[in-house]
Amino acid sequence: MSASKSAAWKGVLFRHETILLLVLLVEWFYFNSVGRRFGTMDNTFDIIRHSVEIGLLALVMTPIILTGGIDLSVGSLLGLCAILFGKMWRDGGMPPLLAAACTLLVGAVAGGLNAALITGLRLPPLIVTLGTYSLFRGLAEAITRGADTFTNFPTSFLFLGQERLLGLPTQAWIFLAVGIGMWLLVHRTTFGRAFRAIGFAPEGARYAGIPVERRLALVYVLAGVIAALAAIIYTARLGQAKADAGMGYELFAITAVVLGGTSIFGGVGSVHGTLLGVAAIAVLGNGLVHARQPREVAGMLTGALLLLALSGGVLPKLLATWRARRLSTSQAKPQTSPP
Amino acid sequence: MTRYFRELSVAIALGVLLLVLAVFAPKFFEWQPMLSRLTREAPTLVCACGMALVIISRQIDISIGSQFAVCSVCAGLLAAAKVPFVLVLVASIGIGAAQGAINGALVAGLRLPSIVVTLATMVILREGLRWQRQGQFVNLPDGLQWFGLSQAAGQYTLITAAVLLLVLMAQGMKHLAAGRFVYAVGSDAEAARLAGIRPQLTTFLIFVSMGALTGLAALMNIVQSPQVDPKSGSGLELKAIAAAVVGGVAVSGGRGNLWGVFAGLLMLACVNPALTYLHVEAYWEKAIQGAIILLAVVADGVRSRKLSH
Repeated sequence: MSASKSAAWKGVLFRHETILLLVLLVEWFYFNSVGRRFGTMDNTFDIIRHSVEIGLLALVMTPIILTGGIDLSVGSLLGLCAILFGKMWRDGGMPPLLAAACTLLVGAVAGGLNAALITGLRLPPLIVTLGTYSLFRGLAEAITRGADTFTNFPTSFLFLGQERLLGLPTQAWIFLAVGIGMWLLVHRTTFGRAFRAIGFAPEGARYAGIPVERRLALVYVLAGVIAALAAIIYTARLGQAKADAGMGYELFAITAVVLGGTSIFGGVGSVHGTLLGVAAIAVLGNGLVHARQPREVAGMLTGALLLLALSGGVLPKLLATWRARRLSTSQAKPQTSPP
Repeated sequence: MTRYFRELSVAIALGVLLLVLAVFAPKFFEWQPMLSRLTREAPTLVCACGMALVIISRQIDISIGSQFAVCSVCAGLLAAAKVPFVLVLVASIGIGAAQGAINGALVAGLRLPSIVVTLATMVILREGLRWQRQGQFVNLPDGLQWFGLSQAAGQYTLITAAVLLLVLMAQGMKHLAAGRFVYAVGSDAEAARLAGIRPQLTTFLIFVSMGALTGLAALMNIVQSPQVDPKSGSGLELKAIAAAVVGGVAVSGGRGNLWGVFAGLLMLACVNPALTYLHVEAYWEKAIQGAIILLAVVADGVRSRKLSH
């Protein structure tokens, strides 16, 4: 029974990722036939450059959703960190490297605030991160008074976001490193098993001896650090830091994770699925520009894609329970009728 | 006493805040600015009542800001096309209810988490509206502002309507079976089902009424100005959630009442003008909104931990 069940799960997982890969290929060939410049190497690097920040957020959102939680504040934190980075560099007179290190620290503290509220007081992640979603963005707006932007960064810093290193966009190497690290964390360590166990049944995980609070705190602090890293890359790519940096990125990150086959209820999912999800969204967004569609369409389609992926994830289970209920009532009937 | 501890503490906090303002900024209580401030909060009150229902049933809806904008623009376009006012009202509420029905069908029908569903519909609706309108304002005909009455009469009408709705809904939540269903589903959906309540249908209808109330609020907002801003309603979801959470509605569901939400909303409405009188800049508004939500849930969390120990 359990062997056939795990085989069935493997089948579903396999199928899910194959479908995603197929979608990706269809997207690629369609946009290649529509847009002239789409298939070129330059544009491929463009897609990579534009998707690194969302990709980083999606990577770190994967363990969070695996534990059954959610972090709505990553986009706002990206904005706050970008502003603080610019502030420390321009007004604080720090060299970019030191400012970046301090920004990562700020990210860790902000993630720690989420973690403390979620694990210390056992508050639901959705309302805590909804509060910090507003708080972080609000702080970014308050610091810049809604208008101040930071520009004229030194070229040595912009190298991180606009140039190539060993043939690839510089930030792609960072993304690769974080991706491999995250894959190892989720798939090859006991931490990853703990995330799944917590998402599957938090009480059960506690009785199994997993330090639930510490593991949960880890994923939210990690989310803060990675959001800060994404903020630095974002600033380097655009060459400026504004208070509205990363607005709405949380939707793209969550969509990529869910599209990649991670269950929104926790317990099931993979990092490589998330990477495919990121690729599907990135190619869609870039391709629509090449197909001369307005920018808003990409946002609408991402939202619709999220709803579709969610529905696709639950429909089989829903149908199964519905069928089981019908079966049990049809079996129950002869018992209730008098002999 | 302990039963309404949370509501009473909000009311006391509101009283203290008003007292502080009375001492340090007596200008705050001048009648004309007070009246227009209350009128501006009337649509928010309507939305906060709906949000209280949603949160009591252990769901959340962060798409109401976008729904509000869509309803505002549609109602504005209809009014500009010389459609009679009653039909505009019905259309606005109907469009809101239809949007709520989409959320409700996905949450109740497919049992998806409401936070993710409404995050998606929030973006779809907002981007769709921006695509269609490109930020263009809608000019309203002359007879619409303040229902064609004088400004004071219009303001009193709006405030009366909002408070009347609050009283009706508060009484309904207390005395109607449908109101009790909301609490039952929020505190334990499975137990509610065994007691003969249909939790999925209840959840669906709560989302539909949330949408309908948002449509009503949108209309109450557009009669206050000669134009409709397609960006109106951004941040409304946070205001409504903050009012509900500050007013003692538990995010874990099954607890809270609309009088507390009313007190919470009044308190939040006083915070921003209070800050201006105390010389804090307006850019802090969003940060303070977030901090207030966090403070309210932390207070609830600390209290519930104390009770359970």
